[in-house]
Amino acid sequence: MTAIRSGAKATHRKYDGAWPWLFVLPLLIGVVGFYVWPIIQTAYYSFTTWGVFGGSTWTGGANYAALFADPQLYRSLLNTVIYTAIVLLGVPLSVWLASLLNTPGLRFVQFYRLLFFLPYVAMPVAISLVWRMIFNGDFGLLNWVLKLVGIHGPYWLTTEWFALIAVSIVGLWSSLGFSMILLGAGLKNIPPDLYEAAELDGASRPRQFFSITVPLLTPSIFFVLIITIISSFQLFDLLYAMLGAHNAVMPKTMSLVFYFYQSGFINNDKGFASAVAIFIFALIGVITLVQFRLQRRWVHND
Amino acid sequence: MTDVSAAARTRRGSRGRRPSHALIHVVLGIGGFLMAVPFLWQIIMSLSTNAEVQSVTPVFWPQHLEWGNFTQVFAQMPFLSQLRTSVIITVIRTFAQIVLCTMAGYAFARMRFPFKGVLLGVVLSILLVPSQAYLISQYQIVQGLGWLNTLLGLVAPGLFSAFGTFLMRTAFINMPRELEEAARIDGANPIQIFWRVMLPLARPSISALAITTVLFSWNELLWPLVVANDPANMPLAAGLATIAGDVTVNYPVLMAASLLAMAPVLIAFIVMQRRVIDGLASSGLK
Amino acid sequence: MPATSSRLRRPRRAVVGIIAALSTAALLSACSQGASSAGGGSGDSYTPAAKNTSANLTYAVWDQTQVAAIDANLKGFNAEYPNIKVTVSVIPWGDYWTKLQTEASSNSMPDLFWMNGPNFQLYASNGKIAPITGEVKAGAIDPKNYSSSLDDLYNYKGVQYGVPKDFDTIGMWVNKALFQEAGVALPSANWTWADFQSDALQISQKLKSKGIYGITAGMDGQTTYYPTIFQAGGYVISPDGKKSGYDTPETEAGLQFWTDLIKNGSSPNMKQLTETAGDQWFVSGKSAMFQGGSWARTEIGSSPIAKDVQVYPLPTGKVAANVIHGVSNVVAAGSKNLAAARALQVYLASRTAQQQQGDMGAVIPAFTGTQTAFANSMPGVNLQVFLDEVQIAKPFPVSKNTAAWNTLETNLLPDAFDGTKSVSAVGSDLATQMNAALAKEQ
Repeated sequence: MTAIRSGAKATHRKYDGAWPWLFVLPLLIGVVGFYVWPIIQTAYYSFTTWGVFGGSTWTGGANYAALFADPQLYRSLLNTVIYTAIVLLGVPLSVWLASLLNTPGLRFVQFYRLLFFLPYVAMPVAISLVWRMIFNGDFGLLNWVLKLVGIHGPYWLTTEWFALIAVSIVGLWSSLGFSMILLGAGLKNIPPDLYEAAELDGASRPRQFFSITVPLLTPSIFFVLIITIISSFQLFDLLYAMLGAHNAVMPKTMSLVFYFYQSGFINNDKGFASAVAIFIFALIGVITLVQFRLQRRWVHND
Repeated sequence: MTDVSAAARTRRGSRGRRPSHALIHVVLGIGGFLMAVPFLWQIIMSLSTNAEVQSVTPVFWPQHLEWGNFTQVFAQMPFLSQLRTSVIITVIRTFAQIVLCTMAGYAFARMRFPFKGVLLGVVLSILLVPSQAYLISQYQIVQGLGWLNTLLGLVAPGLFSAFGTFLMRTAFINMPRELEEAARIDGANPIQIFWRVMLPLARPSISALAITTVLFSWNELLWPLVVANDPANMPLAAGLATIAGDVTVNYPVLMAASLLAMAPVLIAFIVMQRRVIDGLASSGLK
Repeated sequence: MPATSSRLRRPRRAVVGIIAALSTAALLSACSQGASSAGGGSGDSYTPAAKNTSANLTYAVWDQTQVAAIDANLKGFNAEYPNIKVTVSVIPWGDYWTKLQTEASSNSMPDLFWMNGPNFQLYASNGKIAPITGEVKAGAIDPKNYSSSLDDLYNYKGVQYGVPKDFDTIGMWVNKALFQEAGVALPSANWTWADFQSDALQISQKLKSKGIYGITAGMDGQTTYYPTIFQAGGYVISPDGKKSGYDTPETEAGLQFWTDLIKNGSSPNMKQLTETAGDQWFVSGKSAMFQGGSWARTEIGSSPIAKDVQVYPLPTGKVAANVIHGVSNVVAAGSKNLAAARALQVYLASRTAQQQQGDMGAVIPAFTGTQTAFANSMPGVNLQVFLDEVQIAKPFPVSKNTAAWNTLETNLLPDAFDGTKSVSAVGSDLATQMNAALAKEQ
């Protein structure tokens, strides 16, 4: 303890000395031990041909050459981007819904919150079965409803593009509750007196929303944006459960992570799969970095 | 607690004059209904026979309510011991994440130290890799530590969360600096400032972190299945996943199992939002 | 980032290594205390484990519905070996192989576990599972007690690694009421492809207004196109495991069988069959026939059409043929309780254990002569067909990395099934890619 304190004094001008390390080290040790080290291993394996059960031979950039020559990579990338774009529509939607839920004096708030929370609690295996029945082309609920208004619905889960849209809708559905919880926490941090002052000034609800709620919520919105993009790029469980492994439309619908999983765990090509993982890592890494650069322009920080 | 709810009440009172909330109720009602439809159907299916679920023309109401699907879940698996495992794992992880992530998040938001940006990048980067890519390495680390088939092995990687760190950093970075400065002038050390001043302010975000951690931990499937062998030591979600069967899936029992797995979390959420979320409403910035 | 990581990496690794070494040592000493006689060691020799052998075994399986029968087996086993404690680890099918691969990469596999055909050669060729050569020599396990096609499935380069615990064959499930409704005579037991095709088409045409089809031509190897490929005299993979059969005219005829059914409307199309599986059409009374496995009996038996159902042998093409698959119990080569694990493997292969499995209705047991309980489980339905078909059944086609070309089948065959490309075009394309995948295995 004494050592820490003297250290703190020594570097007082530029840094806060040893204190910050006390705060971050417990986390960093775990993160490095359980996550960073595996990533380094994965990076190494991406340059090897890896036996299914271990034992690797260095093959240089061969996996990457094969990866970039595979048209499936680009299709998976495109699918992932489309999926992410659709799920991102949920961000403005959840900002709006969360702020509605935050309306002072609104009744049944807890009940609404519970409803929006439900999809987030769902077990993917079970709930995707329900969705499969809803989207079923011959006997599904959705096409039945569409028929009522005179539209002949497609075979959602087996038609190119429609399958991706169906999966994206479910992805959007299940992400709303999550975003709303995070945004709800941000809304709690906005001092209520700001609204009271605005009200005295005679500002309308929508005006309050755009001039107080949104700007003060930008840090949370930024956070939700980053997390939504990152997690959308990890699309796997939902896709797998909704379409099934033996769906003819899967190659045209699969995501990057499905592509990774298929190479590594189904086709047993772990070296190649590592290259896919590193590609995903680099790609979202760049996207996230760019977002952090851009945030200064629009995120309201104190 | 009392003064907080009193404050909420006065706030509500002062704004009660506002125009009616009918439109808001319509929006939230329709939205909420769309959210709930799949679950209503799931409940119906959990009370149907397999033939009714498998029927190509959807059965919206079963002929008899098959409560037996629920008892079958209990008969097929050590439900209570798995529930206990789930609770223990979840509590440990939630507690650990709250401690570790708030501390690290605070340091990343407010303290100055070398390589801060790089280290934050390292922490965040672990979110960018498909989770299955960690599987074999993490397994071998846990094996090397001798933690296979132990509680430690089950909880270990999930104690550390990049998401939580980032969430708490976002929360702290936006807090007014004045309170912190005041405490520093009063001679408080960083731990005291963190504990007495900043942590209470961050309670809404902490409860969001708690909710996300609880859910992540509760629904986690692959990791517990891989590090544990004895069904009695597996958490509920992993145990329930075995219910599905392989070639012939008994859908109603699967639905019942998934509802049973969801129930404790939903109850916790209801309790939490009464006690914690609403109780905390704007308690921070007064 | 690299600087920080590499600095942290080395000491961490050392610590892990030390702890690993310590724990292994602890395990080893625990073992040597436990397994008193090191009988049943490795290689060719097998001496039954001493009755007082004590050990803790893990037995990994994927089907929860069989656990009751397994527990009953274990009771019998523990009467012989009271000090061997067995933990049954049920892993859902979707995660079973991911877990097993992880464990195999870390040499910590369960002592005894279920193996299937498609994965077997992968584990055998990598030395992850122990041969049963010794048990066979010592007469503890006699492969003659099981179907030879199934024994072959668990034989890699002349070495036997396990015997089947159960099996599945394929039959034609027929809804007699729909045949009657369409005015089509019920099939005879020795029907041919032509008979079948005409029945399916007639029913589809007559009952079209009700949305009822004659057959569901789902794209699934085991239940649909593998049997017909064999019936047409073709093959999926050459016996030496080096060449794909998809570019041979016989194999293509086996595929054409199904694509024709879809084309002429005897069957719903590919999209319909992916969104609503064949068994669902059948149990909902929307399809008069369903070519499906013996395992479908639970679902069909509890469906509203159960009373109208009868099983027929598959129609004969150029030859009569079927596909057989069964699960085997295999011992991990690296098991620390090898003797005990082998004792359990031997017990589970015994007539007593398999008879019990069959009587409890879990599966069709593989031991010849223990299957009567299965045949009688649905009176009047003629489940006996599934047992009789064993005579003409060929082993499920596999290779060292079966999954790699299974993925190719799933990705390429749809173009043939939905009619966008000709069967021969898809077949030769599939053969080329599959041959490349097979070449990689060598």
